[in-house]
Amino acid sequence: MSDTPFQLSARGIRKGFGGVEVLHGVDLDATGGSVLALLGENGAGKSTLVKIIAGDYQPDDGLLTIAGAQRTSLTPPQARDLGIRMIFQELADAPTLTVAENISLGRWPTRRGLVSWRAVKRRAAEVVEQLGVDLDLDAPVGSLSVGERQIVEIARALSDRARCLVLDEPTAALSSQEAQRLFTFVRRLRDQGVALIYITHRLDEVREIADRVVVLRDGNVALEADTGSVTREQMVSAMVGRSLGEVRRPVDVHQPPVDATPALRFDGAALAGEFDGVALDVHGGEVVALYGKLGSGIAEVAECAFGVRRLSAGRMELDGKAMSFRQPWDAIAAGVGFLPADRQREGAFMVRSVAENLAAPSWGPLSRRGFLTADREATAYRRWHKELNIRSRDDPRQLLATLSGGNQQKVLLGRWLERQSKVLVLVEPTRGVDVGARQEIYRAIRALAASGVAVLVATSDYEEVVQLADRALVMGRGRVVAELADQEITTQRLTQEVGG
Amino acid sequence: MMSAEGATEAGRQAPPAGGEAVPTPGRAPLLARIPDIAPLVVLLLALGIFFAIKSPFFLNYDNFLNVLTAAAIAGIIAAPATLLLVAGQFDLSVGSALTFCGVLMAYVADKHGLAAGIVAAILGGLLIGAINGTLVTVVGVNPLITTLGTLAAFVGLARVIADGQTLPLNGFGGLGTSRPLFNIPLPVIVFLVVVGVFYVLMRYTVFGRAMYAIGANPVAARLAGLRTGRLLFISFLLSGLFVALAALINVSQLGAASTNAGNGLELSVITAVVLGGASLAGGRGTIIGTLFGLLVIAVLNNGLTLLSVNSFWQDVARGTLLILAVSFDQLRLRFAVDT
Repeated sequence: MSDTPFQLSARGIRKGFGGVEVLHGVDLDATGGSVLALLGENGAGKSTLVKIIAGDYQPDDGLLTIAGAQRTSLTPPQARDLGIRMIFQELADAPTLTVAENISLGRWPTRRGLVSWRAVKRRAAEVVEQLGVDLDLDAPVGSLSVGERQIVEIARALSDRARCLVLDEPTAALSSQEAQRLFTFVRRLRDQGVALIYITHRLDEVREIADRVVVLRDGNVALEADTGSVTREQMVSAMVGRSLGEVRRPVDVHQPPVDATPALRFDGAALAGEFDGVALDVHGGEVVALYGKLGSGIAEVAECAFGVRRLSAGRMELDGKAMSFRQPWDAIAAGVGFLPADRQREGAFMVRSVAENLAAPSWGPLSRRGFLTADREATAYRRWHKELNIRSRDDPRQLLATLSGGNQQKVLLGRWLERQSKVLVLVEPTRGVDVGARQEIYRAIRALAASGVAVLVATSDYEEVVQLADRALVMGRGRVVAELADQEITTQRLTQEVGG
Repeated sequence: MMSAEGATEAGRQAPPAGGEAVPTPGRAPLLARIPDIAPLVVLLLALGIFFAIKSPFFLNYDNFLNVLTAAAIAGIIAAPATLLLVAGQFDLSVGSALTFCGVLMAYVADKHGLAAGIVAAILGGLLIGAINGTLVTVVGVNPLITTLGTLAAFVGLARVIADGQTLPLNGFGGLGTSRPLFNIPLPVIVFLVVVGVFYVLMRYTVFGRAMYAIGANPVAARLAGLRTGRLLFISFLLSGLFVALAALINVSQLGAASTNAGNGLELSVITAVVLGGASLAGGRGTIIGTLFGLLVIAVLNNGLTLLSVNSFWQDVARGTLLILAVSFDQLRLRFAVDT
């Protein structure tokens, strides 16, 4: 790195899209050798701001000073030349190429016009050494874990003379172990003089990794402070514009009668290679959390309960009757509903209307002899629109894609209300949902349980467990390692049980 | 395959305006309220006006019927093709299947009578549909490759059966040439009935809805309880069935089964469907759009013929139209995500 520390400062940045201004004069400073956390709900303007810094968008007004160069706007190549690199949430690597090839992706060193594979390997070895990471340079990137692939992308940026690295929610798809490893690299890069801008939703990460924090709300800077001098509550209220208070236990914790038949039961359940010996009960009226890290088996248990996968051993019972679902429709017919982890990929019909999205699993019951009118769908949508507080135009034909993430999730939850499912299996129900909408989804889930539905929530978010669950099972390496009752469900206890 | 990639592609392009800004309650943006079909209607009118000025023979009832008759064969096949494309699927084998069913019909009818010939053609169409459906839904082969394979295989098989000859067929002219109502040829009536049936099927049935859902997101469709494999299989069967119907009409019109009957038909069909607004990414498209797409192609061909333009230019026009339609689809996709 060079002698003078890298300095980026943005002043009075304004940007609008189609007549709607989303940034109203924002200031931002990033310095080499420090980590800046950029916080904000969805729609606060974080992505727009960093895309301006990376040259993807041109600001309508404002001044950028980067490493001494003053600019009113940047092109992507200019931003690159100034040493700015972005690591997006979604991986932008070439999965079939090797680690070494990916590190030099797009700028392979050549000798007399031909790619020099020796130089490719050498460069990769150097940067991997610099990061202090153990990676097989010849392995195809597609065979690595998400966390490792992210590190490859960081290595690529680093080998390309990165002086300012923007990380967009890098831990969203990582287990806490992988996240810790990522933090180590972030600190190492910081110590090497790189300026880091770290975008995140997770407040505990800010404390752990950042030196300074900037909170954006509705296109304005709502808070700027050293992380040492700011409380969690201050950050939350800056983000949402009001105080949300502590992570609180629900007040209406449900105690099922001792001799009741559970609505959903697993006994000695196993799925080869994923989990083993899992026993769990969920009673009507109860929210049971299945807490564990990515890869602990929580998502797989949930998938088995819905027929996405089949148990390789053990028993599953619904209302005391043994069940074996071959496919999701068997589970739906038996009264089970399911909210998948990845809304975009597994849940939503983005280009279809909100009414169709909500009614899809209920098309059978809503139809007469296979015939179905849009009216009946619209009626079904209106039934839950208010109840779930879905913020949209009052138009059942509105496309799902035009709703915010939280409201999309409410529509998908509404599916199973309309279907009158008796057992609801939710996987990461608030992933990618902002803080405000999160509370509303929790309220909706609690209300569902109060109406007698049995809810199983598979989640890797311990705050979610604390706020949502009547009981919690902790999973690690495919086994249930602890079962916690009401008062035992605390963030401390959960992190302790799940292990370091 | 197509649809899944298309969906993630659209998701990745999510810009700040759509991805970040929380939508405010209110009315849909003005541009979004213009029906998808509007540009097509304008194009059709423009072509109509142009040809009406250029040729004295264009604007009369008989020529109008000519246009519809020319669109009938492709139209009967384009209806199930719209259904398939909406579900993110393709059937390129339709032209070859039409040839095969026609030849089968003439061959069997010659030996066992007309009724047997008709049954053979229908079974032949269903067989091709079943093969395509099985390969796509059970084996999991990409529909483009699957139907490219059956395209090659069945036109070859047709030539084997016919020994490369055109098979004559007498006494079967009624279906293709009779004019039972207002002098309207029966193929046109069949075509419009098929369009009507698919209109209802796609708009007002669970089956139709399910096809849109599968096209929009096949993974989500399965998790919403739709039997995606079975539904797609049925759609391929429908495609085969209606190809057989079109083949019967074609044979009846010509009084013979030619081994070149369906050459290039898949191009006309796909062009009409895409021109009609069905998205290659799946999940969007209507049968009315396809109807207008068919009419644009038919009017263009008819007008060019009336103006005595060399018929090879019609191929150029059709190919250009397909590329324009697909480009338009891409632009619209980007625009739809942007707003």
